[in-house]
Amino acid sequence: MAELRLIGQSLVLNNEAFSRIIELESLRIALLVVFLAGLSNAIGQSIVLFANEVKPRRFLASLLLASFIYVSGFLFFVFSIWLVESFIFTKNEPFRNMIKVVGLAYSPYLFSFFILTPYFGSFISVALSLWSLAAILVALNATLALSFWQAFLCSALGWGLLQLVNRTLGRPLHTLTQAGRRWVSGTKLELKVGAKHRGKS
Amino acid sequence: MIPDALSLFLILIVAFLFSGALAPFEALGWWAGWFGREREAIAKTSTSPKTTSDAKHFVIFLTGIHSVSEESFARREIALLSELRKRMPDAVILELFPYSVTNRALTGQRFFAWFWRYALKLKLSRLAFAGFIINMRNIWQVGVSADRRYGPIYNQGTAESMALALSRHGYAFASGVPVTLIGYSGGGQVAIGATPYLKEIIQAPITVISLGGIMCSDPGLEALERLYHLYGKRDRVQRLGFLMFPGRWPILPYSDWNQARANGRIQLVDMGAIDHTGKDGYLDSKQILPDGRSFLEQTISTITAIIEEKSIAPAFGLTAMPS
Repeated sequence: MAELRLIGQSLVLNNEAFSRIIELESLRIALLVVFLAGLSNAIGQSIVLFANEVKPRRFLASLLLASFIYVSGFLFFVFSIWLVESFIFTKNEPFRNMIKVVGLAYSPYLFSFFILTPYFGSFISVALSLWSLAAILVALNATLALSFWQAFLCSALGWGLLQLVNRTLGRPLHTLTQAGRRWVSGTKLELKVGAKHRGKS
Repeated sequence: MIPDALSLFLILIVAFLFSGALAPFEALGWWAGWFGREREAIAKTSTSPKTTSDAKHFVIFLTGIHSVSEESFARREIALLSELRKRMPDAVILELFPYSVTNRALTGQRFFAWFWRYALKLKLSRLAFAGFIINMRNIWQVGVSADRRYGPIYNQGTAESMALALSRHGYAFASGVPVTLIGYSGGGQVAIGATPYLKEIIQAPITVISLGGIMCSDPGLEALERLYHLYGKRDRVQRLGFLMFPGRWPILPYSDWNQARANGRIQLVDMGAIDHTGKDGYLDSKQILPDGRSFLEQTISTITAIIEEKSIAPAFGLTAMPS
């Protein structure tokens, strides 16, 4: 119940939640939130799996793999923020604590499966990103005592650094994860929906 | 413990979005072959049927969002179809449930048939909430058809259901016999969405008559011979399609809708001060127009005129909708 209360508080952007999660020894809650957010996001994006006619077992395996990849992406993001806060803002918050607070700030993404909703999907996706960004700003403000704009700069620079790495050093890793996704799903994972009756007559 | 108004509102919003998030799964699961291989049925019937009908025209009626199966239970729809059959003896008029990718009635579904049968029973006994649940479920399917992510899947499914229904009634593919889809309310979107896929299967010209249809700026408009959008000035439901889909706004001249309008493939038919449904609706036989025809009679004569390619004589003629 205490965990649920923490998540509830982070959803309403209560800074107390982020101060309290740092006091906890374990990373369990933060990583669980991120993993479930990843699972929810994978369900929200599952049209690619359906379009490629992935069968139920491989579908579930693909969702799990996507969730683990999501957690890895999260860890890289936190590492980028940690580099920025350590070297630009010269704060000395341990990496572990950054995982806890940014992980909890991912709680809005628990609702990512709502991206499936017809018509409203893109709007929900953008709204969740903004909601989570707001939670990250509150988290950085609560733990690093950064002002709003400093917190914004910190997360923006962290995000920018991550994008830079993704497009350079991260390329082989990206290729590897894509290969993993294709292997688990058993398809090429192309988002192409051709006429199915063609060629069957 | 009774929730306060705000909590109740939030619960309703979450329930609304939750039902929306679940809405695409029927179409997606069907596409992925999770519910059997019904999709392959189309391949088996793609050759000409054993007994070919000599009908000059085939019409498929796609019912409104109030329905749970292809057989309309609404007495006004029954009256419309019966009159159309009487006046067009050379045409075959079929009914299809457009809110299921496999034309499977809600009351014939694998797991939730009991629920929809119960909802229909309650609706028929005038419990408004049951009607709301059915409408909500079907509105989301209209959303699935209009969604750029799911539309190509959903619309292909409904097109295949239409092709199967045509074939079972003696329609020979590639015979060139014209087909008209009449989409009432949400059926309008399903009709335009399915058109390019249906056209590819049956190799024949397809016309769509939207009866107060809620439609997006669908790429399917390009494959149509013509879309006749019959709308009443008091019909706020059909106007939702205009309000909710920016592709229909005049500020986007290159959208599929505006391109089809510019090319003359969309004809707007002003039916006068008529509502979407029920009393004062398109199918009301009691309300009388200044020219002495009932609302229903005007709708029937407009539809038959389009199908028989006669001049169209609605109350207020063919006009451009102000918005």
